[in-house]
Amino acid sequence: MTTLDAGLVPARRLVVSPVDARFALVPGDRALVSPGDSVVVGAPIIERLRDARLDEFEAPDGVDPIPGGRWQLPVKRGDAAGPTGETMFFWQDRWRVTLGDVADAIESPFAGIVREVQSGTGITIRAAGRGIPGVVALGGPTRGRLQTGAEGELRSGGIDVGSAGTILIVGSRVDAETLTRARAMGISGVVVAGLSSKERRDFIASEARQRAALHRLPPFAVLVLDGAIRRPLAGAVQAVLAALAGHEVAIVTDPPMLVFDRPNLVIPDPPHDLVRIRSGTLSGREGRFVKAVGPRRFAGGVQLEAGLVHLPDGTMAAVPLGDLERFV
Amino acid sequence: MGAATTVAALVGRAGGRWRLIGALSMPAGADLEAVITALGDRAIDADPRLAAALDVHRGEAARDLPRLEVVSHAPRRLAVVAASDRAVDPLVATATRSGWRTVSGSGDSMDPLAMSTMLLDATVTGILVGAGDPPAADERRRLGEMTALIAAIAERRPELTIILAGGMAEHLGAFGDVGRRKGEVMLGPAATVDVPGGPLADLLIELALPHDDARRALGTGAVALAEVLDRRVDVVEIGFDGGARASAAPGVGGGSPTLDLAVVPDAALAPPDPDDTVVDRVSIWSSTWGADRHRLRDRLRELRIAPWSDAISDGATLRMAAARAALGRLAEWTPEWNDRVGPDLVVATGGVWAVAPAPSIALALEDVLRRPGACQFALDHARILAPLGSIPDADERRAMMTDLVDDLLAPLGTFVTPAGMRPGRSAGSLVVRSGGGESHLDLMPGGLALVDLPPGTAAVAEFQFRDRVKLGGRGKHFAIDVTGGLAGLVVDLRDVPLRLPDRADLRGELLDAWQSVLVSGRDT
Repeated sequence: MTTLDAGLVPARRLVVSPVDARFALVPGDRALVSPGDSVVVGAPIIERLRDARLDEFEAPDGVDPIPGGRWQLPVKRGDAAGPTGETMFFWQDRWRVTLGDVADAIESPFAGIVREVQSGTGITIRAAGRGIPGVVALGGPTRGRLQTGAEGELRSGGIDVGSAGTILIVGSRVDAETLTRARAMGISGVVVAGLSSKERRDFIASEARQRAALHRLPPFAVLVLDGAIRRPLAGAVQAVLAALAGHEVAIVTDPPMLVFDRPNLVIPDPPHDLVRIRSGTLSGREGRFVKAVGPRRFAGGVQLEAGLVHLPDGTMAAVPLGDLERFV
Repeated sequence: MGAATTVAALVGRAGGRWRLIGALSMPAGADLEAVITALGDRAIDADPRLAAALDVHRGEAARDLPRLEVVSHAPRRLAVVAASDRAVDPLVATATRSGWRTVSGSGDSMDPLAMSTMLLDATVTGILVGAGDPPAADERRRLGEMTALIAAIAERRPELTIILAGGMAEHLGAFGDVGRRKGEVMLGPAATVDVPGGPLADLLIELALPHDDARRALGTGAVALAEVLDRRVDVVEIGFDGGARASAAPGVGGGSPTLDLAVVPDAALAPPDPDDTVVDRVSIWSSTWGADRHRLRDRLRELRIAPWSDAISDGATLRMAAARAALGRLAEWTPEWNDRVGPDLVVATGGVWAVAPAPSIALALEDVLRRPGACQFALDHARILAPLGSIPDADERRAMMTDLVDDLLAPLGTFVTPAGMRPGRSAGSLVVRSGGGESHLDLMPGGLALVDLPPGTAAVAEFQFRDRVKLGGRGKHFAIDVTGGLAGLVVDLRDVPLRLPDRADLRGELLDAWQSVLVSGRDT
């Protein structure tokens, strides 16, 4: 097999660096950091309004408001500074300002340097560390100690309160009930290979109900590494996760990623001929790519470019190249 | 290079003209140099002398050949706003077929805070704000506040492109010194109700597509093809991030050729977040996936994540169902195509067709883009129409197209679609005369009738209908010149537009039956 042959197999990044994570802001939210700031794990970066509303004010004498700037409301009593809002726009001699009464603090789940702050739009922080990319992350930024869990499908009864504060690796698939229970028991996050659309929808609905109740939710996120159907975690990903077990990691949602800061952790490049079968009857299996064998006719009369894969049990299989992936 | 597929084609001079030597489609994510090298090696295996003459050598030499490259870019997001719902609808219709993903709102349906949140969203890269020209009474009372809001957003996000359409142009002064902004502030014409194309669509396409964009080049490629063939050509593309439709006609009496290009991100094969509408539309076209919505949604998400995976067996039927649903969305966002004279040739292109058998492609196009008349279908199998369209010089482009036109199109077949037949009894008969031979066929409404006419074979099809039908014009007797293809000559006697049973099992049986006509040649 030549390296060029293996180059025909779609590549997927195992670990990415640098990681620029984006934290969304909406009008009224207050960024607590500025570009160039260094943030540590747990540092508050955003004050998020829960009940934003638009009020009208006349600008005080000597003040020249600008859209996107902070609007300082007068002090009601004492010496403490009054509440602030976000200046929106000027219309009919009055400024529209976004205000709210209840705010939550959002903390940085990792250490890093603030790259960009755009009020009302978002904050970008470059993480100190590397990341394992996923396909989607639900919930909000979170952090915790990484803990390996069930290898197959994790059931709600399998969650232990002793895992509170951890990010659980749950293997191939998880349901919404288990996710809801995990959040209720103080788990910080879940890493899973596949999350079906139904479970995803149910979990998002549950999150929305919780937020509507005006309780402050503890940080919780679900990071999906592969897709929507059941398949085991890739061996190369499992190896990195196993090396990170017991250490603090973070989950961010934009881009969906597991972020870790272990500069001394050496992650060897996966063998260039190691491939994983993403789908089909051999889904989840891994093997050595032998060579590309050109177009082959598969079930249903479909002609596809194929490659020969040598599986660990000694058998060889011709697999469509589109069903294969290799980690780089 | 596309978001899902990387295609390499080898073009060389042989016998005094440009010829397509070979092409190779691979999933995106494959190394481009490896794809090119594999293509070169296969050319050598097929004809070593020709490969040597073209300076293609085994290994890495094919990498050194000159390249013509186009890329299909992911569509960007445009926020479309107007003072009233009535004013925002035509703007959305225009923007959605002009290469932009859209979010929209109006002063009627959105409060200023919600509108600000929408406009400040990080994914929004441009704002289209429009009003009637002159603004209607219901717009006028909200225009001032909306202008103040958008001017403030423009100040906060100087990188945004702002398009002031129609009556909004009068409010340009509210945006200050626009020359100093990073993003442009542009004036555009008003959107036209019920006609989503036009000058505003042209402006939006110009802003949406980078200069090396494959869909932009598809338009110029379609024009060159129409000029070379001297026929009206429609090009239909379904891709990972959107669909495109180009209608080109050669110039008449020394005039310039015409082109109408629509780029519809909503017509992507697998939209990023498939809602119930998307899932339902796919299930309508599927005999396998109709019953289980959740499972179908999972498979559509997988199709989005890894578009080339699971392409065999029921994965193949899923792709064709998703392709039909995408074609349906493309047709919906380009309603003006229905009012035009039908094309002589429809060319299908896009990654979705890369793994489908030719007759299935023809049937998918016919199922969705059906109109009474006769039309030939072809496939841009090597995906070189867009790269040829990207050649900057028009004469050079035409010269290349002239040389390559026989190689670039795989003929799928001719479809003849009469409309207005009475169901339940024979509608008439067909005689196909070709090369001294004759085929006779009874025409039974409701199904497909197949005449085996190989690619490159010309024939005359003479129709005798019992009643007057619509087939181009209205009449009982028609003689049509047809050419063969991989699917042959297909007489489509189904309803126009196609009506499918509501019951999933009946619908599935019908879809399977139609499919089997073209794949196995068994009439329905």
